[in-house]
Amino acid sequence: MTETSAKTRSGPHLVLLTVYAIFVLAAGARSLVQVFTHFDEAPIAYSLSVVAAATYVAGWFAIRRAAAGSAGFAKVMLWIELAGVIVVGVLSLAVPSWFPDDSVWSKFGSGYGFVPALLPILGLLWLWRGRPKENDESVDSHRHLA
Amino acid sequence: MDAVTLIGFIVAGYAAFVTIAAVLGVVLKAPRPKWLDQVAWMLEILAVVLAIGALAAWSGGRKPESLSTFLGYLGALVCLMPLALQTMRADRSTWSSGVIAAAALATGVVAVRVMMVR
Repeated sequence: MTETSAKTRSGPHLVLLTVYAIFVLAAGARSLVQVFTHFDEAPIAYSLSVVAAATYVAGWFAIRRAAAGSAGFAKVMLWIELAGVIVVGVLSLAVPSWFPDDSVWSKFGSGYGFVPALLPILGLLWLWRGRPKENDESVDSHRHLA
Repeated sequence: MDAVTLIGFIVAGYAAFVTIAAVLGVVLKAPRPKWLDQVAWMLEILAVVLAIGALAAWSGGRKPESLSTFLGYLGALVCLMPLALQTMRADRSTWSSGVIAAAALATGVVAVRVMMVR
């Protein structure tokens, strides 16, 4: 298989980008519906949904940049995302009164099959292993959980 | 079980099949085969049938709990796979099969959600 230009280079990040795009859509649409139709019911949870959606937008751009060679933004962004999932997950269990309805990261993303908790970890593993190369397999064994 | 629910189960089951086929492509490190595209387009056709069926049931008087959620899921159901295939049109590498796998799985999950919220 031949590598094409840096921009279209193939690798596991293509799958990460797809899942991020799906989550931009899922979290974005969900938070918009929540904020515009019944924001008063769970303002904290719904605001956190908006934060999650924004994080996925930033994460998508970050992984694209990392695939093109500059991993700095992705390193910061993925750690922020992981921290967000953990903090919101813990809060949703510790202070349930703040979460009368679920936000995207409630209970570590259980509403999305825990993919929100897996995504930043897989992203960081991918960064850890360096630039995308063809024989980069490890991410895939987890991918079908997505 | 009404017809739309039946179609929903067919879409979800077929989506699982497409996901497994695509993941297998990645595991075997093969370039993305042409037949995977055809199998994926077949899923798209089924998804469109489900969307039309759900819309027909809605116009026939069925009331979803949240209309915006229902319509959002229908949009996602129909758009996911064409977007994935379009993005990967020029890329026949192994990992492009992974993209198809993710899109197929998401389509299946959305099909189940459509059945739950309609």
